[in-house]
Amino acid sequence: MLEEALEHLVRGIVDHPDDVQVDLVTNRRGRTLEVRVNPEDLGKVIGRAGRTAKALRQVMTSVGGRGLRVDVVDTDGR
Amino acid sequence: MSESTTAPGAVTSQDEPGSTLAADALEGEPEAGAPEGNPESAAIVDDSESSDSEGDAAAATGEALLIQEGEVAGDYLEQLLDILDYDGDIDLDVEGGRAIVAIVGADDLDPLVGSRGATLDALQELTRLTVAQQTGVRTRLMLDVGGYRAGRRTELSELAATSAARVIDSGETVRMNPMNAFERKIVHDVVTATDGVRSESEGEDPARRVVILPDR
Repeated sequence: MLEEALEHLVRGIVDHPDDVQVDLVTNRRGRTLEVRVNPEDLGKVIGRAGRTAKALRQVMTSVGGRGLRVDVVDTDGR
Repeated sequence: MSESTTAPGAVTSQDEPGSTLAADALEGEPEAGAPEGNPESAAIVDDSESSDSEGDAAAATGEALLIQEGEVAGDYLEQLLDILDYDGDIDLDVEGGRAIVAIVGADDLDPLVGSRGATLDALQELTRLTVAQQTGVRTRLMLDVGGYRAGRRTELSELAATSAARVIDSGETVRMNPMNAFERKIVHDVVTATDGVRSESEGEDPARRVVILPDR
């Protein structure tokens, strides 16, 4: 449900919604939602001064509970 | 296409429907989506209607855009509610030249408001980005959840009025608590409407606050 919610939120704001992928990874450090988007959309998901990524984190921790992390994965491999 | 021969002045823009659409949108024509961009009919309308109907057309386009903004936002939020399995209805409105979208009618919406409205602000930001992504224009759309902003507006208006009265009585400046832009605007509006006081903002977000001063 949380993956689906974040995927929906991200799909709205990008040029390539079909390239959006979200995985929930659980390990000793807790739960992390990993977001992958088309490299062209990376800037949109992060936003000016990280503002959009911060908004995504704010909404997801609010509905998913504290300790839920949101990572935007740079698939460009840099 | 054959009818274009009857309007000699309009033939040049016949070539590409896409460019006609774009030109119509720039001129603020509400019916820009008419099939087969028909420049001659546009020319006839322009010739026969008075100039104030052009003003109406522009206003209608603005209004139509705001309605479209509300609909895009409504879809986005409705799907989010579905995924999260939250109850709640979406109310759409246009007020003061901006689209207002409100999620109402459920008591478990607190997670979408967050501490001091932080989640609401974040969700509004994402909703604005989604709307801009669809329409191609920036939007000033306002989102409310569970009446939070409406309630906050009442609360802050009362606080601003009380504080302004105190400044008038004492002649001394009052510094309000830090507020976000939406909340500061409410306070500024009340102070502006009150004789004998004026207001300024000081500091940087998130510590930016309104200062109410005596105005003599």
